[in-house]
This record gives sequence, C-alpha cells and structure tokens, in this order.
Amino acid sequence: MSDFEPKIIAFLCNWCAYVAADTAGIARYKQKPNVRVIRVLCTGMVDPSYVLKAFAAGADGVLVGGCHPGDCHYISGNFKAMRRAPLLNKLLEEMGVESGRFRLEWIAASDAPQYAELVNRMSDEVRSLGPFSPSIIE
Amino acid sequence: MPNKKLAIFTATGCRACENAILDIHYQVSSLARFADIAFWPYVSGSQWKDLEAEDRLDVCFFSGAIRTGADREAALKLREKSRIMVACGACAAFGGMPGLINLPQGSTERGQLQQTTDKGQQSPEDGKPELPPLEPGVSALSQIVKVDYFVPGCPPTQNFLWAAIQSLVCNGQSPARISFAAARLPEAISQAIASGILPPGGTLFAGEKAVCASCSRVKEEKRFDAYKRPYEAYESSGRCLLEQGLVCQGITTREGCGGLCTAVGQPCRGCFGKAEAVFDPGAKMVSAIGSTFDSEDAAEISALVDDFVDLAGTFYRYTLPTQCALLSKPSKD
Repeated sequence: MSDFEPKIIAFLCNWCAYVAADTAGIARYKQKPNVRVIRVLCTGMVDPSYVLKAFAAGADGVLVGGCHPGDCHYISGNFKAMRRAPLLNKLLEEMGVESGRFRLEWIAASDAPQYAELVNRMSDEVRSLGPFSPSIIE
Repeated sequence: MPNKKLAIFTATGCRACENAILDIHYQVSSLARFADIAFWPYVSGSQWKDLEAEDRLDVCFFSGAIRTGADREAALKLREKSRIMVACGACAAFGGMPGLINLPQGSTERGQLQQTTDKGQQSPEDGKPELPPLEPGVSALSQIVKVDYFVPGCPPTQNFLWAAIQSLVCNGQSPARISFAAARLPEAISQAIASGILPPGGTLFAGEKAVCASCSRVKEEKRFDAYKRPYEAYESSGRCLLEQGLVCQGITTREGCGGLCTAVGQPCRGCFGKAEAVFDPGAKMVSAIGSTFDSEDAAEISALVDDFVDLAGTFYRYTLPTQCALLSKPSKD
C-alpha cells in the first residue's frame, strides 16, 4: 500500500484547534496533506453521527480537535466530547473500525507545532492501517 | 366490491408477526368479510402450488428477514404475484435481530456455517430434505424487492397492524375502529386511511417522533453514573429509565407503541426502527448516553465505558442491515 493516501476528516474547534491549524499553516510547518479540516464552533457539537457519516462516506480516519479540558470557550463543551469519545470508540471497534482511525485530541491555540506533528503522526498511522472499507455484506 | 386476496408469509423469523395478525381479536372475523386468504402456510397450511394457482394477489404481508436462498425466492415469488407488498414486523422492515449476523465479528462463524451447508449440498442423503443455502448475510425485505408499506414492531402492535389491514385490505370501510392508531399516525396518513384511499407508497405505519414523546415516565436532569442491566433496576413507574442507568433506546426509536415497554419498567429496545430525524441510531445513543456521564475525569469515564457490553448489538438490535450508517446496504426502490 505504498501509494495509498489516507483521507482524514478533522473536526477542529474554532477557538483552539482551528487556530493552531491556521498558525501551523502560516508558520509553514511541514504537514502531510491528508487532512480535510471542517471548522466547528466547539467539539461539544461534534455529534457521533458526524463521525459515523464521515466513515460511511469514505474517510479513512477522523480527528476531533478541541481545547484542553477547562479551557473551553463555552465552558464545558469539550467535556461533552470527552464523555462521548470512549463510548463512540467502543462502538466503532465493534463495527470493524480499528482503533487509531478515530481520535479525540486536545490542541491549544498556541500548539501549532504539536498540531503539525499530530497530523503527521496520525497520517502515518492511518496509512499503515490501510484504506478503510466498512464490511458490508452483499 | 370483491374480496381482496391476501397472502401472509414468514421467511426467517419467529412467526410472532403472524400471531400478531391473529391477535387482532374479534376483528379477525370482520377481516374475513373483506379478504380471502389465498396463501397462509402457518395457519391454513397453504402450499407453494396454491400460490402458483392464484392469478394475482392484492396484498401480501411478508414477515421475517431474508437469510436463506429459499427466503429470497419466496420474496421474489410473492412480490411478483402481489399488487401491494407489506414488510410486516422489524425483521422484514429493517432486518431484525437475525440481521446482527452482519456485524464483522460474525464473519468467522458465518464462513463456517456457509462451509457446512455447502458440504451438505454436495452430497445430499437420499430421501432427506435439503437445507436451503445460506445467504452471505441477512437482508431486509426492502433490499431484495420493492416494498410498498412497512409495519414496524417486534411484533407489530395491534393498532397499527389493524390500521394497515384497514387501509390496504378493507379500504377504510370501518374507520371508527382505527381511531386509536389514527391518532398516533402522521396526519396525512391517518386522513388517507379514514377517507379510504391508499396512503402514499413507502408509508411506515408508526408515529413520527421518538418514543420519549409518548413515554409516561418523568424526565428530569439526565446524569448517567452507572451502567445497569434491566434486571438490576426495576421500577414500574416513575423516573426516566435512561436517567437510572438503563440503556433505554426510546430517544432514538420511532414512536407509535405508546411506550408499552417503558411503562412497565423495561427499557426500549428499538423495535420500531429509528425515528425520522435520527441519522444513525447507534451514534445517537452514544451521544445520548455519553454526554450525560456524570464525570469530568477521563479515567473515570473510560472505567464507566468498560462496563458497557455489546454496544452494536444493543443499539442496532433490530436495524443493523438497513439503518446502521456504516454497515447497511441500499434498498431497492
């Protein structure tokens, strides 16, 4: 699978992770071009349906990035994301989505280098997992 | 008006849907005034040749999922003969509980089963009936043939079954009897039934909202702090079951039953399929349960999540082949 390029959908919160991604771009950190960013107001609004829909529509990985716990612009939105993520991960694994394809990460607005590194790391991980195709029985 | 010709058949299923048709009580006798039952193996012992002798059927109530080659053949035959095809019950409408075999974990068992049946067919013993070949997975009726109407439920509730029979078989000739179901059906459909015209194709004989809308329990602040199985908490009335730590799927499930199970302390199992506005029942349940965990500590949350068993089997209990965003395949229109 050397020529496989994963598609990763990233839901980034407007106040931290998106700013970090933006800064990482402006600062010209080297990043793998596999991530498609969708800006959301808060990780608290990333319904598990969005993640499932991304996988169903052909994403190989989904990244949800938000503010560190306690730093949420809306006070408790990222806690909601934090509570959903383990349960969603468990459900995804039962449906044949390997762990590593879905990640919830805390990225502060000033974490631009860390964001670039995370993107590269996740891109490599998902690349080694190979393309994702749901096991639909015909 | 000549009597309608009726077929009732169960593919892979428990036949509770056929029992549910018998369970419309004294209305069974009035059903006989409107319909001739041309093909009903379970009750009148009909054979396939009886069906072939019929020129055309008006309505076919098909229950059960499509699991074997014989099921598929039956679906195709009945579709060809019938003017109106009704998927009756959760198995026919959504794939039902047999559909859980489509989960990826089932694949090893599925392979083994397939092998044993294939071997069996290579050398059939004399005089013994052959088992029909298994399909690679379970399908709902709508994934094999075009389905005109759906009656969900496991088994379908009496009122909606009667509403379906009334509108499709009796053409609403005694509309007063369906008032209960009509009150729960979406307005356009109940009006169609009451005025004796066929509801639009693809109609689901059920409500529109979620079960919570008609559940009698008191809903307060949701705080989920412990996962419990139904036997661990029993309360015949009172507080919302989800708040008590039971995995009640009322929040994602189509209304219409009137909260029968929740009223007696059993969490909703989702037999009416997902509600109109829900994209994927599993994701919605993850959201509903997850965001109400009473903790802000990652370790505590993951400890709580460890207690949960068989999420996919619970959230898609009746709907995996058709309503799971990730594992379903498209229907025939």
